[in-house]
Parts: sequence; C-alpha cells; structure tokens
Amino acid sequence: MNTMKWLLKREYWEHKGGFFWAPVVVSGLLALLTIGSMLFATAAGSQGSFHLDGNNAAINLQQALNDISDPQKIEFAKGLAVGYPAVAMPLMFTLGFVVFFYCLGCLYDERKDRSILFWKSLPVSDRDTVVSKALTALVVGPIIAIAFALALSLVVLFTLMVLAALHGLNLFGLVLGDTNFYLVIAQIVSFIPVYVLWALPTVGYLMFVSSWAKTKPFLWAVGVPVVGGVILTWVNALAGSPFVLESYWKIIVARGLGSVFPGSWLGQVAETNVNMNPDNAVSVLLANTYSLLGTANLWIGVVIGLVFLAGAVRMRRYRDEG
Amino acid sequence: MSSVLHATALSKHYGKQAAVDRVNLEIQPGRIVGLIGPNGSGKTTTLKAALGLIPFEGELKVLGFDPRTQRDDLMKEVCFIADVAVLPRWMRVRDALDFVAGTHPKFDRSKADAYLAKTKLKPTMKVKEMSKGMIVQLHLAIVMSIDAKLLVLDEPTLGLDILYRKQFYQNLLEEYFDEGKTIIVTTHQVEEIEHILSDLIFIREGKITLNTSMDEIAERFTEVMVGSEHYAAAKALGPIDERSVFGKTVFLFDGINRSTLAPLGDMKTPGIADLFVATMKGTYA
Repeated sequence: MNTMKWLLKREYWEHKGGFFWAPVVVSGLLALLTIGSMLFATAAGSQGSFHLDGNNAAINLQQALNDISDPQKIEFAKGLAVGYPAVAMPLMFTLGFVVFFYCLGCLYDERKDRSILFWKSLPVSDRDTVVSKALTALVVGPIIAIAFALALSLVVLFTLMVLAALHGLNLFGLVLGDTNFYLVIAQIVSFIPVYVLWALPTVGYLMFVSSWAKTKPFLWAVGVPVVGGVILTWVNALAGSPFVLESYWKIIVARGLGSVFPGSWLGQVAETNVNMNPDNAVSVLLANTYSLLGTANLWIGVVIGLVFLAGAVRMRRYRDEG
Repeated sequence: MSSVLHATALSKHYGKQAAVDRVNLEIQPGRIVGLIGPNGSGKTTTLKAALGLIPFEGELKVLGFDPRTQRDDLMKEVCFIADVAVLPRWMRVRDALDFVAGTHPKFDRSKADAYLAKTKLKPTMKVKEMSKGMIVQLHLAIVMSIDAKLLVLDEPTLGLDILYRKQFYQNLLEEYFDEGKTIIVTTHQVEEIEHILSDLIFIREGKITLNTSMDEIAERFTEVMVGSEHYAAAKALGPIDERSVFGKTVFLFDGINRSTLAPLGDMKTPGIADLFVATMKGTYA
C-alpha cells in the first residue's frame, strides 16, 4: 500500500491546471515568441537589412554570419552552451505563482467544498495528507516546471542552431562539444533541493493560513503582513521610528511570502559573481545558491516552515468544516 | 464481542452552548441504529465526535479506539458518508476508485465495479457532471466495497428523489449489511428507514430521550383510537400524546399494558414518525 504515491497523484489530478497546463501554455508562448522572432529575423535578414557593429552598409544575414570571426564564433557558442536555459526563466516565475496559490488553496478548498469529509473517511492520516501537499508544492511542481524549462530551452537552442547552420554558421560542434552544455542541465536540476529548503517557510505559512482561514485565505495570508507593515510605518512616522522597517519588509514580506519564487534567494547571499562569465556563470549561481546552506537565514526558515506545517496538520485534524 | 460504540458522559460545547450534553450510549455489533432528532439536536455532532472529526469531552470508544488519539487506526475499520455531495467535483469515477483502491486496505475494487456496472455511471465521468443521485450512487459503490466494521451515514439521502432513496437503502440492506457489521444512520425521512432499523435512538437538545430496539417499541408503545365516550378514561392513563382524527382522539401510551388499553378502542403500534413527533413536541417552541 503506497499511500504517499496515491496522495501525490491525487494532488496532481486536482491541480493539473497549475502544474501541467500552466507550463505548457507558457512554454508554448515562449516558443512561439522566440522561434517566431528568429524566423522573422532570418526572413528579414535574407532581404539584407543587417547592420553590424555600427556599419551602415546593409548586408544580408548570410553575409553577416560569414563575417563573424572564429574567436567571435567560439565566444558565441560558449555563451549559448551555458545560457540557453535563460529563455525559460518565465517558467520559473510562473512556478512561483502556481506554488503560491496552490499552497493557499490546498487546505482551504477542501473545507469549502466539504470534500474533506470524503478524504477524511479514508484511512489516510492528516500528517500524510499535509506532507503530500507540501511535497507537491516543493518537489513535484518544480520538477515538472524544470522539465518543461529544459525541453523548451533545447527546442529554442536547436531551432536557433539549425537556422544559423542554414545560413552558413554551424555551431553544433562547438555547442554540443562544450561540457557546459550538459553540465548546465545537471546544475539546474540541483537547484531543486535548495528550492525545497528555501521555499519551506512560505509554503508552510501559506498552508497554515489555508488550513486555518474560515474565508478569504489570500486576504489573511497577504493582508495581515502588509497591513502590519503599514501600521508599523504609521507608528514610525508618529513616534520617531522605533522600528527598523526595512528589515520588516525584507524578512516578513519578501522572505516570508516571496520565497516560493525560484531564485529569490540570489539576493540574499554574499555576491561572488563579480567575475561571472560564460565559462562560470552557472557554477557561480550554483555556488551562490549552495552557499545558502551555510546561512542561518535558510535554516531558521526551514524550522519556521516545519512549525507551520505541523500547525497545519493540527488544524486539519480538528478544524470543523462547519 | 465488545460494543461498537461506547460513550460515557460524552459532551461537546460550542461556546457555552452544549451541542451534546453528557450522553451515555452503547451500540452493539450487528445492529442498524437510527439516530433520529430535530435539526440542531446534536446528531451530527455525536457522529463527528465518533469519527474523530472534532474534539469532545467525556469518554468515547469506537471499536475500542479513542477517536481523538487513534483515529488513523479507527478509520481502517470505519466508513462514513457524512453528507451528500462531498465527493470532490473534479474527480472522475475512475480516479475515485483508483485512489480508494490505493489507500484503503479493505477496499474490493471488483465489488465497486460490479455495483457501478448496474448504474449509468461511466468511468470517465466527472463528479461535477453528475446529478446528486448519481454522486450518492458512486459514494455508495465505494463505501459498500469497503469491508468496514462500522458504517456511519449522516443524512445520506438528503435531497434525493424517492427512487434513489429506496434504492440506496435496498442496496445497503441486501448487498452490504451482515451480522458482522454495524450501521448508524441519521435521517429526517424516518418512515423510509423504519423497516430496516433494529434499534432506535432519539436525541433532543444534546440528550438522548429514547434508546430502544424496534422489538421493544412494539411492546412499550401503543396507539389507541378512542371515541369520546372513553376520552376521560384514556386521559387518566397518562398518554404521552394525543391528537384528533375524524372526531376521535388518538392517544399514544408508553408502557401501558395492552390488555388495559384494549377496551378503549382500536390499538396499533405507532410508527417512528408519530413517536418522533410526539416525543419532540415543543422543540422549536
């Protein structure tokens, strides 16, 4: 009896819209946009309207690409080999939104539509249920989003290289021969464990509010910290600034509510990316990300997240659906 | 075998209001128990306490488990339909069966499939596309395929038409119930479950006002249709209720010997509905 597997499936069935169709639509749009503009550029380029390096002589794409020197070509391929997943960044942003609203709804909606009475008629503990929902937000959602991100990135990259090759610029050997091309995939996947830890306090908090709120979980979850900040601002204005508001907004609002957005940790660590270049970009980002593991910020967040999740289990156990 | 449900001084307060007020209750296995009471009498609260859905005061053991601390074990042996239409609306018939099969060790998938084959439900149908009656069919198919020791039904047929209601109880009785199982059911449609019950519990304002077997009801309660000439004599025996029908008076007696009542007029055993109305008088006054 593999209860957890079924619980995760259940969450996926119910929230397929957010975890599957949202990335499908966003990747589709991104593919359309990037590939469309590449096709447009090549079409326009074959008419000969390229201006390179401030050179006013209009040349066509073929000529423009032929003019690229070998060192330039190598630089370009290096950049592509490491930077191609950048096209999928909006998917990570989408993921942040999906996870945010999923967490906010997952323990509230089942009470609202009373389906909790069905779920609770089965021999599944509240702990397992809450854990399955947290795992959906922290692991399943990100894995699906990253799979889409990589697929989209590869499609866009290969389209670009095919188009370039058709116009006389063959980058296949250089890009595919670059170890970064493969490494970057592994590196992106290895962001997931950090995401799990980093997003935990927000996921825990939102799920707790979801399990507790009688109505309007969004207003409670977002309204309370924001109104709190506004009140503190007033107190500061009237009483000569007894509070350090900057850290309130930074810790409670940005970290507390925003940590479900992948990469939101990057502003929080000592910047060592001064010398970031195509050769080391991903490893620098990854090193920055993993340097989080040495910060109190991350681990305090983990503890707070777990406390909130325990609270959500407790709430679900006895919260009367009315 | 020990009792299925054992409550001692079971209480549940909402604020200062007692929804369930120091109830003592004992339910034996192999019974079909009707828990009958007006709206807000504490039926659902009692059941929720038994199912570990809410905290409560007092002592309560269901199948030997404390619903507060041993709910996870309890739910392997107990099944319930808490209300009509609580199946998640996005779910397909197939998903529902897959999920229950994956999470409930006592679920028999083939039973559920066989039962559903007799309905108009299709595996790909979503709950939100179904009528209320069809949702209950699906829920019943699931519940009947779980080999639970105790089945709790809280208004399982509310809002269904009479065809679905009849079918529901018929299925339950013919294809599910056996001496190893116990069913507790609450409903407002008392006439419809009268013939399937083995025990009857009336609850009013959080207290149990009647707890008896159906056999005992025939022995204890008698309805007598009395002409005006015997009115005073009947009244003197202390009826618990009286009402006028066609110029005669129908008296309801509790615990009066039938030989004493026979001279007064025609006797019969009252229906649950009449008994209910008689004992609940003044509830909403």
